[in-house]
Amino acid sequence: MAIISVQNLSKHFKVFKHHRGTLGAVRNLFSRQHTIVRAVDEISFNIQAGELVGYIGPNGAGKSTTIKMLTGLLVPTSGELLVNNLVPWKERQKYVSRVGAVFGQRTTLWWDLPVIESLSLLQYIYKIPADRFTANLKEFRDTLELDPFLDTPVRALSLGQRMRADLCAALLHDPDLLFLDEPTIGLDVVAKERIRQFIQKINRQRGTTVILTTHDLSDVEKLCQRVLIIDHGKLLFDGALNSLKERFSSKRELLVEFAEVYDEPIIDSAEISHVDGSRVSYLFSRDDISASELIGQLSAKYRIRDLEVREPEIEETIRRIYEERLLE
Amino acid sequence: MLQTLQLYRRLIGVQIRSQMQYRLSFFVEIAGTGLIALLEYASLALVFARFETLKGWTLGQVAFIFGLAELSFGVMDLFFSGFDPGYFGQFVRRGRFDQLLLRPINITLQVLGSKFMLRRIGKIAVGVGIVVSAVGMNPIDWTPLKVLLTGTVVVSQVAFFGGLFIIGATISFWTVESIEAINIFTYGGSMMISHPMHIFPTILRNFFTFIVPAIFLNYYPALYILELPDPFNMPAFAPFLAPLAGLWMLFMALVIWRFGIRHYQSTGT
Ligand SMILES: Nc1ncnc2c1ncn2[C@@H]1O[C@H](COP(=O)(O)OP(=O)(O)OP(=O)(O)O)[C@@H](O)[C@H]1O
Ligand SMILES: [Mg+2]
Repeated sequence: MAIISVQNLSKHFKVFKHHRGTLGAVRNLFSRQHTIVRAVDEISFNIQAGELVGYIGPNGAGKSTTIKMLTGLLVPTSGELLVNNLVPWKERQKYVSRVGAVFGQRTTLWWDLPVIESLSLLQYIYKIPADRFTANLKEFRDTLELDPFLDTPVRALSLGQRMRADLCAALLHDPDLLFLDEPTIGLDVVAKERIRQFIQKINRQRGTTVILTTHDLSDVEKLCQRVLIIDHGKLLFDGALNSLKERFSSKRELLVEFAEVYDEPIIDSAEISHVDGSRVSYLFSRDDISASELIGQLSAKYRIRDLEVREPEIEETIRRIYEERLLE
Repeated sequence: MLQTLQLYRRLIGVQIRSQMQYRLSFFVEIAGTGLIALLEYASLALVFARFETLKGWTLGQVAFIFGLAELSFGVMDLFFSGFDPGYFGQFVRRGRFDQLLLRPINITLQVLGSKFMLRRIGKIAVGVGIVVSAVGMNPIDWTPLKVLLTGTVVVSQVAFFGGLFIIGATISFWTVESIEAINIFTYGGSMMISHPMHIFPTILRNFFTFIVPAIFLNYYPALYILELPDPFNMPAFAPFLAPLAGLWMLFMALVIWRFGIRHYQSTGT
């Protein structure tokens, strides 16, 4: 039984034509001229309990809109949505008590309160039993290293600290599901890594189902067995990241620095993409030749000083998928 | 119910504590809101320096109405400032309202608990002062019923103004550009109530009698307490309609509010 089941889910927004000025403001109230934005357009998927799924797509693709429907903030235009056996927006209070959510751009905590007071207020709001609260808080204080800023008001926290505090806040009540909308936005490499490890740990140790949106593909690469790609409201891909790589990956690259400058150091199974004096780069594909074979052939013909093999980056693959619309 | 009250108390506690963090600005603001209220009253009193009466009403009589409205608006603003349309519009646009929807407690209670304008104490204090001095200026023949009515009027007006705020907040789900228009509606309503209704044109007065029953919240109770004749020949029970009018307004506002939330959840912002 899937913990999330989404069937032909759509969200259309009416965007009203905007008139300017004072008179315009009055006209805006009555004007019915509008266009329809299909932010989410007939998407379907199921997610099993315990999965950790990445939800990616370019700006304006419909990720946040989907997350808002999944968390009950928005009512779908059409389609069916069942999470944890509930229709999120219909039974809001009951539903959200079993769910945690972090929207990277904003905080759930009380701006002027020290972190620890926000957390104990949440204990009260979610009616978290004292023993669970103490145990969870202890664990999160360790893993998220909250101690240095537990008594600092939220408004004074750095972005990374705030994100850690928010993650803690979203998990204190032992939710079955965790929704993360861009949890690593604006963080440095170290902070990102720490957040990733934490998310992974929560998913593995507690079996919490996690859905996260991100623009940083290393989040997905490091965390998610499964990835959903959305663009223009349509679900384009649902599967393992690796299979996406295999299907669309561009060619591998071999960078060679020869011991001398050759005129045209051609080789049959690879094409030259760039020449800069004695430095030459070749493009080749996995299907045609392996890296070691190619190096063997080259060194039989030419004298080589140094070389390096570059794998196609996932970023590059995804960029091509977005830009060249490879999945449509 | 008890739990709801406790929760409310804790949410408000947070607000008060965070306002107290900035002690100096807190006291400056209390003094500031008090001063503004005092200036409003002074400008009203100035009218009486030139004219003996305001369409037949003495300063003491007008001050009685004015002070009650000032006091009630201040108390309302203390409790309902989460719904202050100007503030609430921003609150929604910044996504804070979404954050409240993610918590497993009643949304109206959360908005009520999201702000508590302690500095309105300044306005309330001035309001009380004006009422007290008005009582001194009028030879009122106090009976238990009159005392009870005065208290009821304050509570009813708080409900009425609270309703105005909630309606204003609801409108800001649709539009924030029209915030000026919304303010005319809320602050205009409080302006009407703080003056004797017979000074306004008939059409305006009719609106505030039959559509928005503000006239029963101040003018009629004042006629009864100050023992003034009724120029509009309403039934004798008109002065006692205040609680009904106040609760009616609050009730209607909450109905509209529910509708607004549903609209918000289907359109987002
Ligand atoms: N409340 C709204 N009213 C009108 N249009 C909206 C509303 N919310 C979102 N949209 C539109 O719906 C589309 C999808 O937006 P959404 O925020 O879901 O994208 P996203 O994938 O989260 O993008 P990003 O990566 O930039 O956060 C966009 O075209 C956006 O302009
Ligand atoms: Mg988004």
